[in-house]
Amino acid sequence: MLSVRNIVKQYASHRALDEVSLEVPEGKIFGLLGPNGAGKTSLIRIITQITGPDSGEVFFNGQRLNANHIAQIGYLPEERGLYKKMEIGEQVLYLAKLKGLSTPEATKRIKYWFEKLEMQDWWNKKVEDLSKGMQQKVQFVATVLHQPELIILDEPFSGFDPVNADIIKNEILELNKKGATFIFSTHRMESVEELCDHIALIHHSKKILDGSVGDIKSTYRSNTYWVEYEGQYNLNQADPIFAVLDTHQLGNTTRIKIQLRPGQTANQVLIALLPHVSIHRLDEVIPTMNDIFIDKVKNVN
Amino acid sequence: MATNKTLLIIEREYMSRVKKKSFIVMTLLGPVIIALFYGLIIYFSIQGVTDTSNKIAVVNDNKTITERLKSTKNTQYEYVSKPIEDMKKSVKTSGYDYILYIPEFPLDKPEGIQLLGEKQAGLSLSGKVSDHIEEMIRNQKLKESGLKQTDLDNLKSSVDISTKKINETGADEDSSAGASTIIAYVAGILMFMFIMLYGIQVMRGVIEEKTSRIIEVMISSVKPFQLMLGKIVGIALVGLTQFVLWIVLTFAISTAVVKIFVSDKDMKQTTMVQNDGSSVSTPAAAQDNPIGDIQKSMANLNVGKIVVVFLFFFIGGYLFYSALYAAIGSAVDNETETQQFMMPVMMPLFLGYALSLSVVTNDPYGSIAFWLSMIPFTSPIAMMVRLPYGVPDWQLALSMFILVAGFIGTVWVASKIYRVGILMYGKKTNFKEMVKWFTYKN
Repeated sequence: MLSVRNIVKQYASHRALDEVSLEVPEGKIFGLLGPNGAGKTSLIRIITQITGPDSGEVFFNGQRLNANHIAQIGYLPEERGLYKKMEIGEQVLYLAKLKGLSTPEATKRIKYWFEKLEMQDWWNKKVEDLSKGMQQKVQFVATVLHQPELIILDEPFSGFDPVNADIIKNEILELNKKGATFIFSTHRMESVEELCDHIALIHHSKKILDGSVGDIKSTYRSNTYWVEYEGQYNLNQADPIFAVLDTHQLGNTTRIKIQLRPGQTANQVLIALLPHVSIHRLDEVIPTMNDIFIDKVKNVN
Repeated sequence: MATNKTLLIIEREYMSRVKKKSFIVMTLLGPVIIALFYGLIIYFSIQGVTDTSNKIAVVNDNKTITERLKSTKNTQYEYVSKPIEDMKKSVKTSGYDYILYIPEFPLDKPEGIQLLGEKQAGLSLSGKVSDHIEEMIRNQKLKESGLKQTDLDNLKSSVDISTKKINETGADEDSSAGASTIIAYVAGILMFMFIMLYGIQVMRGVIEEKTSRIIEVMISSVKPFQLMLGKIVGIALVGLTQFVLWIVLTFAISTAVVKIFVSDKDMKQTTMVQNDGSSVSTPAAAQDNPIGDIQKSMANLNVGKIVVVFLFFFIGGYLFYSALYAAIGSAVDNETETQQFMMPVMMPLFLGYALSLSVVTNDPYGSIAFWLSMIPFTSPIAMMVRLPYGVPDWQLALSMFILVAGFIGTVWVASKIYRVGILMYGKKTNFKEMVKWFTYKN
């Protein structure tokens, strides 16, 4: 649905984006990852047409990105705020009208959302009277109110308490089910695992990794397992089935981290171990997005 | 669509300010303050400035002076015959504020006169007393040269110059330098105040959007230029609303205040002079009733033209400066950082203000006045100050044209800085940086 092609953005002395290309598939939640200062915000600002690229193009549903697409994009920036002295209802109404909604339509939708998120009695409150978490709920409503096809969230969960973070997460999933595409910029990897179908990793202004979360994870599998057992087994570095990477002794329980030798399977390991020990656990070590992130970023450095 | 959004922004900027308590209070209080001011000026010009009155004991040891000091309303002289040493001792209990000691001296060389008191006499009192003594000595000398008291009274004369401007048809118009100066001052101060107040409001508004972090949400919906323009225009409308309300309210309240401060008798005199508009007012009438004179001249000044030109130069000057203020606001993170940028923007405005009220009122047709009223940095104030004295139409038109070109220029420059500045956080900005932003491609 969104296609970013060879974007370059140059600020006086440093290059914020260097030939970045990526494809955001329709109806998916797309994670845009990268350390601070990698260029995520610069890319988002180009997609939201806050700034323009020096070269390269962005296509939205096959059309070159233009001013008409503003109404189809919802953006919750990381640096977000509201007019402090304005009343909540009035403020959301104003933001909705700037996105092109008519007053009655916007009012209807605000009422619907305020009810849904249990903020009906906030309408006449001033922003300065709300807590930070409450303000963020208001901002979330303002972001999705005009039913955009593409919703861009920059660190959406920072500042939310777990309860509200969960509410917002469920809203995201519900909107996604109804067909909205999300771009989700964050460095909180656990929320990436939970929500994202696809990711792209940007580092030092360049895209260094992208693809579906499942694919990426499987390429990072290294045939490594945790095994926990009780009893005696002679661990041998020359074992033909696996190499031992790590051992822990916890009372009678032994925990080892092993890597299969080429051609071997986990079943082989069990066959070798079973006659000697009682097995408690055998887990494949699947790299978390966090590990992949750190590994990739370090490798580039 | 695009204009629609700008309108929405204008509406919000306008409504959110007009609804504020501070706006309502200032709008109501402003005219009251102005009217009080006006009332006080009228009051004092009728009543004379009432200083504290002083009772002065005069010890005259000078045998050659037979004339006596004449008491006035605020300085009463009482001749005492006690020696000066005794008077000095009893200064606290005597009931006199000061003791004036006139020693023996030849008339053409008056020396050693002393004004003594518990407190040191102020400059205005000692000035008055010395004037009185000079008059007394002059009268003494004149008498010694053989003039009689009646001759002395006849020598007195009071002069009031009536200034007139000759219009195109050759007829002279009644005008007074006094009235023009008052109008010039008021217009100049108002212009300065309005540009400052509302220009700074623009800057504050921009900083508010930046510090409250709403700016990024906003400009994902609208173009930075629309946001800046909407803010500037919205605040301009607030200024105009206030100005119009002030004029209406000031007029209403001033009428009431004049009725209160000026007694019926004064009013009748005023009306008489006004009805008598065609004739030259006699010096005596002018002296007795300066307000009548000024009011009459004000009636001859084209108030309608002044108001229209004021509105034009207010809008022009405001747009010119507020664009610069918007650029400054966009370049900083909070108000305390604005100092270094405020200086160069404020300087021309202050300069224009100071020079207008001094040089221009003294010489409204001089070349300094001309140039100040042409350069758009100072022209809104300088032109308003010149206007009551009369400005050729071509100069007015040229100045207006330059101002319009000027604000188009500043709005253009400001929008280029603004669009970059509003997205910059946590970075100390300097002028070099701003020049760099100017060249960024969008």
